[in-house]
Amino acid sequence: MEKPKLIIDGKRCDGRAMDELRPLKIQAGFLNKADGSAYVEWGNNKILAAVYGPRECIPRHDASPYRAVIHCRYLMASFSTLDEHGRSGPNRRSIEISKVLKEIFENVVITEKFPKTAIDIFIEVLQADGGTRCAGVIAAAVALADAGIPMRDLPCAVASGKIGNEVAVDFGKLEDNYGDGDMPIAIAPRNGEILLLQLDGMFTKDELRKAVELAYGVLPKINALQVEALRTHYAVKKDELDFRGD
Amino acid sequence: MEILDEIKKDYVTDLMKKNKRPDDREFLEYRPCTVEKGIFPFAEGSARVRLGKTQVVAGVKIDLGTPFKDRPDEGVLSTTAELLPLASPTFEPGPPDEDAIELARIVDRGIRSSNAIDLTSLFVEQGKVLMVFVDMYILDHDGNLIDASALAAMAALLNTRLPKIEGGQLIRTESTEKLKVSQKVVACTFSKIDSHIVLDPGLDEVKATSARLTIATTPDYVCAIQKGGRGAFTREELFNLVDVSFEKGNELRKLLD
Amino acid sequence: MTKIVVPGELLASTPQRVEFAFVEDGKTYSSVVGLFDEANLRLVPLEGTYMPTQYDIIVGVVDEVKFAGYNVDISSPYKGFISARDSRFEYELGDILSAKVREVDEVKNVNLEGTRKLDGGEIVEISPAKVPRVIGKKNSMLDMIRAATRTEILVGKNGRIWIKGGNTALAARTILKIEKEAHTTGLTERISTLLKEEISK
Repeated sequence: MEKPKLIIDGKRCDGRAMDELRPLKIQAGFLNKADGSAYVEWGNNKILAAVYGPRECIPRHDASPYRAVIHCRYLMASFSTLDEHGRSGPNRRSIEISKVLKEIFENVVITEKFPKTAIDIFIEVLQADGGTRCAGVIAAAVALADAGIPMRDLPCAVASGKIGNEVAVDFGKLEDNYGDGDMPIAIAPRNGEILLLQLDGMFTKDELRKAVELAYGVLPKINALQVEALRTHYAVKKDELDFRGD
Repeated sequence: MEILDEIKKDYVTDLMKKNKRPDDREFLEYRPCTVEKGIFPFAEGSARVRLGKTQVVAGVKIDLGTPFKDRPDEGVLSTTAELLPLASPTFEPGPPDEDAIELARIVDRGIRSSNAIDLTSLFVEQGKVLMVFVDMYILDHDGNLIDASALAAMAALLNTRLPKIEGGQLIRTESTEKLKVSQKVVACTFSKIDSHIVLDPGLDEVKATSARLTIATTPDYVCAIQKGGRGAFTREELFNLVDVSFEKGNELRKLLD
Repeated sequence: MTKIVVPGELLASTPQRVEFAFVEDGKTYSSVVGLFDEANLRLVPLEGTYMPTQYDIIVGVVDEVKFAGYNVDISSPYKGFISARDSRFEYELGDILSAKVREVDEVKNVNLEGTRKLDGGEIVEISPAKVPRVIGKKNSMLDMIRAATRTEILVGKNGRIWIKGGNTALAARTILKIEKEAHTTGLTERISTLLKEEISK
C-alpha cells in the first residue's frame, strides 16, 4: 500500500504544527445513571467514560482488605473505525490497554479509604481516530472526579510519535497507521511523574527524549481543559456559591 | 496470601533502604542467565532460558496461511505467552489473563518494531504466506518473566529453520534455509521499590515493586517500552534507565550468539 | 469566599487538617470536586458515596436475616449489621428501618443500633452530598416541607429519605428539586413559593 505523505512543507497532513494538539472537548457528567461520567471529543475520537463505585467488590475474592480494587474496561465499539465491522468484546489489545489504564488510576485514587470495595471504570470508544487510550485516560479521570472519588491528582495523557526523523505530538489515525513510532504517556500533572508509558517503533535516545519533552509541553494544556470541564459542570455564578445550610 | 505478600514487601523494602537486595546482587545486575537453542527439534525453532530460578521455553512453529487483507504481501507474526499453572502457585489454568497478554505483547512489540523479522520475506505466492508463531511457556516463575521470555523468543527465532515448500505443502522434515533475523532485540526490566530502582527483579522484589519499566533495545534504538504497576517514574529516571538498557542490552545480546 | 476545587488542587501552602483534603510535602490539596471555603478552611464535596460515620442516622433496608442478626443495606459500599441480641424488634427481609451507626470498625463493619421500623410510606433516594441542603439551616427546609405537605419525613444521612402520610408525592417531588438545585442560592425562597403554589391548586 502506498504510504501517504505525513509531512508537507513542514506541516503535518492535517495542517498542524509538530507540537499542536487536535481540538479537544471534554464534558463532565454526560450520563445519568453512572456515579460519574465524562465524554471526550478529540479530533474525530468520540469517547465515553463512566465510573461506578466505590461499591461492593464482585467477585468477592478480588476484594482487598487494604484498599478498593480498581477495575477498568476499555473497549472499542464495533462501528468505531473506517474498517470493517469490529468484533464486540475484549481482544488482546483492549485487555492490555485496560490493564495499563487501571494502573494509572491505582496511582492517584485514594483507594485506602475504601477497603473491600471496587471502583469500576468503563471506557467506550465510540469513534476511534488515533490516541484512543490517551483520550480514555482524560475521560476516565474526569469521570472519577465527577463520581466524587477522592484522588491525589487528575491524570492526563497524550501520545507523541515519530514521523521519519521528526517528532510530533498527538498523532491522528493516519499518523498512527503510517508513522514510524508511537509513545503514549500519562502523567500526574502536579508532580510530573509518569503513570503510563508505552512505546513502539524505533527511537534513538535523542528522539525518545524529544518525544517525552514534547508531550510534557502540551500535557498542562490538556489538564487545564479537564479542570475547566469539571468547573463548568459544577459551575454556578460565583455569588450563587453557597454551603448547604447547617 | 495478600497479607504474606505485604510482609514480604516490608522486608524487601527495608533491605533496599540498607542498599541491599534479597540475593545480595548489585542494583543493576542480572542473575546468572543461560540460553540454550534448539532444544525441541520437532518445532521449527526453540530455546530455553534460565534467569536465576526463572525458567522459560519458547517454541516457533511455521505454518502456511493467508495474509491479512490489508497486508497481502506480508507474512504473519504471532506471539503468545502461557503462564503455566506448573510454574507458580499463583498461576491458574484457563485462557491467558491480562498478565500473560501484556507479557506477550511487550515481546511482540520489540520484535515487530525493530523489523527483526522481515515479514515481506515470508511471502510465498498470491494469497499465501508463511506464518511465524512464537509461543513462550513459563515453566518457573521467580520474577522478571519479561526479560527471560524476550530472550527465549529471540533465541528461538534465531534458531528457526524454514520448512521446504513443495506442491503448496510444507515438508517439515526438510528445511531449505534459516529464518532471517536482522536484529537481536532484548528487553531490560526494572523495578522501583520505595525510591530505589533495581534491574531484573526476583519474585520477592516483584512483590515489593511499586512500578515496573521494561525497555527493549537493539544496539542503536529503543524499540519498545512498557511501564507497569501502580507506582510512577520521573522523567530523569526514565532517561537514565534508557542508558542502562543500552549498556545491559549489549550484555544480553552476547548470550544470543 | 468559596470556590469550586478539583482533585489535586492546592488549598493551602501549609499543612492543614481539612476533611476530604490531603497533605503532601507540607502543602494541602483537595482530593475531591468540592466547594472550598478559604476563610474557614472547609471543604464540602459535591459528589460522593455515603461513608458511614459513628452516630449517623440512616435509613436502611433489611436484606438478609441471619441467626445472629440482620444485614442492612445502607446505600453504601458497606453493609450495616444489627445484632439480634441488641435489637428490641424482630425484622423481616425487606423491612425498612431507621438506625443510628453505633460503630464502624477498621475493617468497615458497620454496627447499627437504636432502630425503628418504618411501616408504609415512600422512599426517595438522593445523593448523600445533598442531604444537608434538604435539611436546611436549623431544620428550616425540612420543617417547611413537613408543614406544607403534612407528611412525616425522616432523612437518613445516607441519602435515603422516608416520607409518610399527607401529600407524599409533593414532598418527594420537592426533595428531588432541592437535590437538583442544591448549590444555588435563594433555594429556600423558591421552594417555599413552589409549595404554596402547589397546595393552592
